[in-house]
Amino acid sequence: MKPTSPSRGRILLSRTAAAIFGGYALTSASVIFLGAVLPLPKSQAILASSLISFAVYTAAIIWVFAVQDNRRAWLGLLLPALVLAPLGWWLGRGMV
Amino acid sequence: MSQAVKKEGLRQSMAWLHTWGGLWACWILFVVFITGSLGVFDEAITRWMKPQIPQAGEVRGMDDGVDRPLAVRVGQAYLREHVPSSHFWGIGLPSDTDPAVRVFWQDEKEQFQNLRLDATSGEPIKASTERESEGGHHFVHMHFEFHAGTAGIWLVGFFTMAMLVGLVSGVITHKRIFKDFFTFRPGKQQRSWLDAHNAVSVLSLPFQLMIAYTGLATFYMLYMPAGIETHYSTDDAYFADLLTQPTPREETGIKAEVTALDQILISSEKQLQRPLSFISVEHPGDSSASIVTFGRFIEKTGEYRLLGDGGGQVFFDGVSGEQQDFQAPGELRGGAAQDVQSVMRNLHFAAFGGLTARWLYFICGLAGAAMMATGAILFMVKRRQRSLNEFGARTPQVYRIIEVLNIGSISGISLACIAFFWGNRLIPLGITDRPEWEVISFFVAWLLTYVHAAIRPATKAWIEQLLAVAALCLALPLLNWLVVGDQFVSYLQRGDGERAAVELTAMSIGLLSLWTARKLWLKNRQKVERKTPQPSLNTAKVEVA
Repeated sequence: MKPTSPSRGRILLSRTAAAIFGGYALTSASVIFLGAVLPLPKSQAILASSLISFAVYTAAIIWVFAVQDNRRAWLGLLLPALVLAPLGWWLGRGMV
Repeated sequence: MSQAVKKEGLRQSMAWLHTWGGLWACWILFVVFITGSLGVFDEAITRWMKPQIPQAGEVRGMDDGVDRPLAVRVGQAYLREHVPSSHFWGIGLPSDTDPAVRVFWQDEKEQFQNLRLDATSGEPIKASTERESEGGHHFVHMHFEFHAGTAGIWLVGFFTMAMLVGLVSGVITHKRIFKDFFTFRPGKQQRSWLDAHNAVSVLSLPFQLMIAYTGLATFYMLYMPAGIETHYSTDDAYFADLLTQPTPREETGIKAEVTALDQILISSEKQLQRPLSFISVEHPGDSSASIVTFGRFIEKTGEYRLLGDGGGQVFFDGVSGEQQDFQAPGELRGGAAQDVQSVMRNLHFAAFGGLTARWLYFICGLAGAAMMATGAILFMVKRRQRSLNEFGARTPQVYRIIEVLNIGSISGISLACIAFFWGNRLIPLGITDRPEWEVISFFVAWLLTYVHAAIRPATKAWIEQLLAVAALCLALPLLNWLVVGDQFVSYLQRGDGERAAVELTAMSIGLLSLWTARKLWLKNRQKVERKTPQPSLNTAKVEVA
């Protein structure tokens, strides 16, 4: 393992970025989605999904380093995020 | 495909993540754990640092000798005169640890300002002749924000997430986790450090997972705002919905006088059946003004709860003084989700089990610090024996930087913490912003430990800093006796166990540091002795040859 070779360094940087930013994007999207679909009053559903979110984030980061494939990691985080966030927003409109 | 992208097994990739993620996070986390452990006893430390305030247990209940309606009038008079049209006023009532009235307001730049007033004369207390001090709050603030406001809270949150990842990846890495727990091979260098790291981590793992998670949950609104931002127009609207309480109203621009707050206090205390701790006014001077009063948190010995120990709140119209809502002490709102969040917060703040729980938290917190320290030291011990060459030609320099950061962040922060106690006793009284000078003395001491670590050989730097910690800890009662005329014996004679415990704990930590320094020194001497005869033997051989 030599993180100094340029390709290895760049791969690690991208993987870390995927874990931190991609993971955060997916986690935020999960809060938006669960806040709309959990069978609780809206405010409580958001609070509940916010409390769960730190476990979601941890799992996402662990997953990124476990798959060791940056393309899969970025896609696996951003695609569900891009589906869940608008869907959650749309389902949550006008809901009290 | 190059070797770099070749796939490894799960355990190997987790070991890599644990080693490197853990290394970059452990310095900040060590600081968070040390200051958090001290912060558990923030009140005791505040009392030790402010000899002028009464000892614990002397002031309690409704009749604590403070004329609270007068204190409120004093606060309101000051705010009306100086900041009649702020967006926010707050009045903190005299408490067991501070006999002054504290007023808070938002200035033209939306910054929060505060000032302490004499509770009867209303005179601002500025450069008082008393021993003004940041007290134990310093450690609490270091613990969650490094005295850096919102940026600091984000910093601590970032590294707390790193800790969760470190804990999970660590558990996956150590496949024989329970077997490892019963294994300790002392005196075997790297193996011993690994065993120590495993034992302390596994033993305190439930606490570490709990404390990291509940810390994040405490600031969920800041760290995970997406849900609230998407589904609500403002945070206030979310809170009003969650807790079914009145929303602060939009400003109207119509001038109106705030109602007499002393009447609000009397009415609130009568309904809550306990003294108020705080009164807040939104939009004072405007016809939309609203008031919330907060009852004091009362910890009843032997009657501990994780939930429903709130002090209660009463809501009023700020102009007419008409009551709008009443939330009794212990009343729960916001359903199961809010109950869970409250329990998490109380778990994090050790606000449920009195002294026993605090001592447990203190010990488990130190175990967390030990987990970070043994991990960081293990990293270097492993590489001091045989370089793994991770950074190519620059590996020795990077190792040296890691070593310096280890020293300054482990023994250095400990030195800064005890230096803060010395600062409290040595900084002259009456100086302006005395509490800030205490905090500055803490940061200067800390910075100097990095400088010291950078200019001294590693082992010497460890030993010298540990000796300095030991000296400052053990001499603390002497300093106190010279400056204030008190020490742990006189405290104990007066039945002031809290202040005595501060010094006794400091002395115990001093002894521990002394013991560690001695161990390091002996080990180092052994190594030097083992090394020195060898060249002479070699030369002898050469001579014979």
